[in-house]
Amino acid sequence: MNSTVSNSRAEQQEIDASAKWPVLVFLGSALLWLLLGGILQLAANMQLHTPALFAGCEWTTHGRLAPAAQNALVYGWGFNAAFAFGLWLMARLSATTLRHGGWLFVAAKFWNLGVTLGVGGILAGYSTSFDLLEMPRFVVLLLLVAYALIGVWAVTTFGIRNTENVYASQWYLLGAAFWFPWLYSIAQIMLFKTPVRGVLQPIVDAWYVSGLYGLWFVPMALAAIYYFLPKLLGKPVSNYFLAPLGFWWLVGATALAGGSRLIGAPVPVWIPTLGIVANMLLVLPLVVFVLNFLGTLRGSFGAIGRSLSLRFIVLSIAGFFLAAVLGLFLALRDVAAVTQFTLVEGLHDWLTLYACFSTAMFGAAYFYLPRLTGKVWRSSALTGVHFGATVLGIALLVIGMAGAGCTQAHRLADASVSFASITDALAGWHTLNSAAFGLLLIGHTAFFINFVWIACPINSRDTAVAEIPVPPTLTLATKEGHA
Amino acid sequence: MKNGLTLFLGVFATLALSWAGLLLAAHKQLGSLPQFKDPVEETLNPLPLSGQARQGALVYQDLGCVSCHTQQVRHEGFGNDVGEHSRAWGERGSYPRDYIRDSVVLIGSNRLGPDLRNVGKRLPESDGDETAQYLYRLLYAPESKLGSGALAHGMPAYKFLFTERVLAGNQPSYKAVKLPSGFGPAAGYEVVPTARAEALVAYLRSLKDTYDYPTERGLNTPAPKKDEHGAAKAGAEKPKEGGH
Repeated sequence: MNSTVSNSRAEQQEIDASAKWPVLVFLGSALLWLLLGGILQLAANMQLHTPALFAGCEWTTHGRLAPAAQNALVYGWGFNAAFAFGLWLMARLSATTLRHGGWLFVAAKFWNLGVTLGVGGILAGYSTSFDLLEMPRFVVLLLLVAYALIGVWAVTTFGIRNTENVYASQWYLLGAAFWFPWLYSIAQIMLFKTPVRGVLQPIVDAWYVSGLYGLWFVPMALAAIYYFLPKLLGKPVSNYFLAPLGFWWLVGATALAGGSRLIGAPVPVWIPTLGIVANMLLVLPLVVFVLNFLGTLRGSFGAIGRSLSLRFIVLSIAGFFLAAVLGLFLALRDVAAVTQFTLVEGLHDWLTLYACFSTAMFGAAYFYLPRLTGKVWRSSALTGVHFGATVLGIALLVIGMAGAGCTQAHRLADASVSFASITDALAGWHTLNSAAFGLLLIGHTAFFINFVWIACPINSRDTAVAEIPVPPTLTLATKEGHA
Repeated sequence: MKNGLTLFLGVFATLALSWAGLLLAAHKQLGSLPQFKDPVEETLNPLPLSGQARQGALVYQDLGCVSCHTQQVRHEGFGNDVGEHSRAWGERGSYPRDYIRDSVVLIGSNRLGPDLRNVGKRLPESDGDETAQYLYRLLYAPESKLGSGALAHGMPAYKFLFTERVLAGNQPSYKAVKLPSGFGPAAGYEVVPTARAEALVAYLRSLKDTYDYPTERGLNTPAPKKDEHGAAKAGAEKPKEGGH
């Protein structure tokens, strides 16, 4: 980074002050959605082992509750959290203040209004039933306009940067800022405005879903990892010269990998084949990330315990690799023949959204909130609860969903096992998953209480003022690979 | 990397390539797949859905049935959907052409419940009132017993698709759902399906891909074994259009 501009504490304070309110508004709404989505998700999962639960009411039947929960978590929590983190990081890395932040409040209002109407619309029966595009058509314009405002802010902040070099995190942020609106509007046009015929519809949907995870959530997580890992360890990213290769190879292959969701589906066979090949190409960027991330971490494992942010970021790295390796396996034809249509596939998407992306956002929030508000985290017990619940919840869900998926896959493959007995065999696993979702919800509640104490103007009055440590010396900052 | 423009162009190219290579190419290949005219019977296949079944497809969509049910039968040799010792989700694997009659194509990705692509063919009594009654009972009281086990395990009841009416001495409606004791309404009441339930059942009964397209039939035979020289043995019919 340019040594004349980066890492002067006064300048960072100025940038943080300009970003404070937009970031707090986005993160606050994100956390409300995280709680609401978590409750819906828990209820939807409990219906899997107790089918009679809330079945009497049309609004809460499983087929509506499950997509409503998913959409609340993806568009409510995921996008708001990414907006908060992305805008702040873009301003920090471009060494420029976030100008005219007032417009971002308007964008936040529209976005959240859109998601509220969308989730409500799903519950009310206006769902389109396409995976992650369930929200009814009337919210699409609202979301796109709101997104345009936010995306333009990120891009112009990048455009007026005061730095010479462009850091890895910025590539991912800028890419994601463009990919999402393109993916979303193309999918909306091809599915609803001028619908394509027949099996082209599931192809468009698979392309969108794979793009949303691979070109929006994963880049956000990687931006956080590339920024915080060197920052919190106080040393540059090792083998940083490989990072551009990892970036282009990852996004190029991910963009073509959507077809692997359609292995065995009634579509021309070149589509899944292209997806499988693209998935296998992802091995190379994985090696780059191992060299970058684990190389940087090597020799500094002791530091992980000292920083809460770093612990979440390490969790995110683990989640990223787990999801990526599982993705490679699921793209193999012989594996897909067995695991298809089971919870193992659900586990893959959930790992990307939660274990990889959400943990990165938590880690980022634990870093930037004290800097934006100038306060400390009031309850260290609650931060402990949050981290503990996240680790335990992820571990339980990996076991629970993998266990359920394998049970299901094994029995579905054996035609002599009756379908009813498969459902019965899954009940125990579903119960375990419900417990894990409940645990995650406890962690999120703990985080939310701490958030209110640090960020809410009224409730944070009694919170102690934070001492922000002086950033590492400039000798490190001048090196490539250090934010 | 220092140049913002290079970065932007690369980002744009990534998605443009993926859109053109995947969606546009697939659209070129499948976008105008026509119905197939049987050379002997001179029928057009697949048959379009009836009006009521079309409405039922909307009910299927708004209730989110796709959360737990797929509508795709994988071909013989991949998974165990068709063929010997299989779950027999259909008589054959699904072809792209099967779906051109549907305005919203929900092939699904979850089999928490059984595949429904051929449910109209699979039902215990495959004609008339009996089938409809079976489906009504499945939707109203999935936990009611049929033979040794329940009708459906793990499926929620859709009681809101039915109305409970006072008989008040009248004869029960011919549409009234016949329910086993313990699952039915109180004496003097009857349960009748709403228009939505009737449409949904009409849609489910319309789900059967029974016509086997001669142009696509080759896709359903497992890939031929390779001989020593690596050349495929004859036998796999090559599809002429809209094939895989």
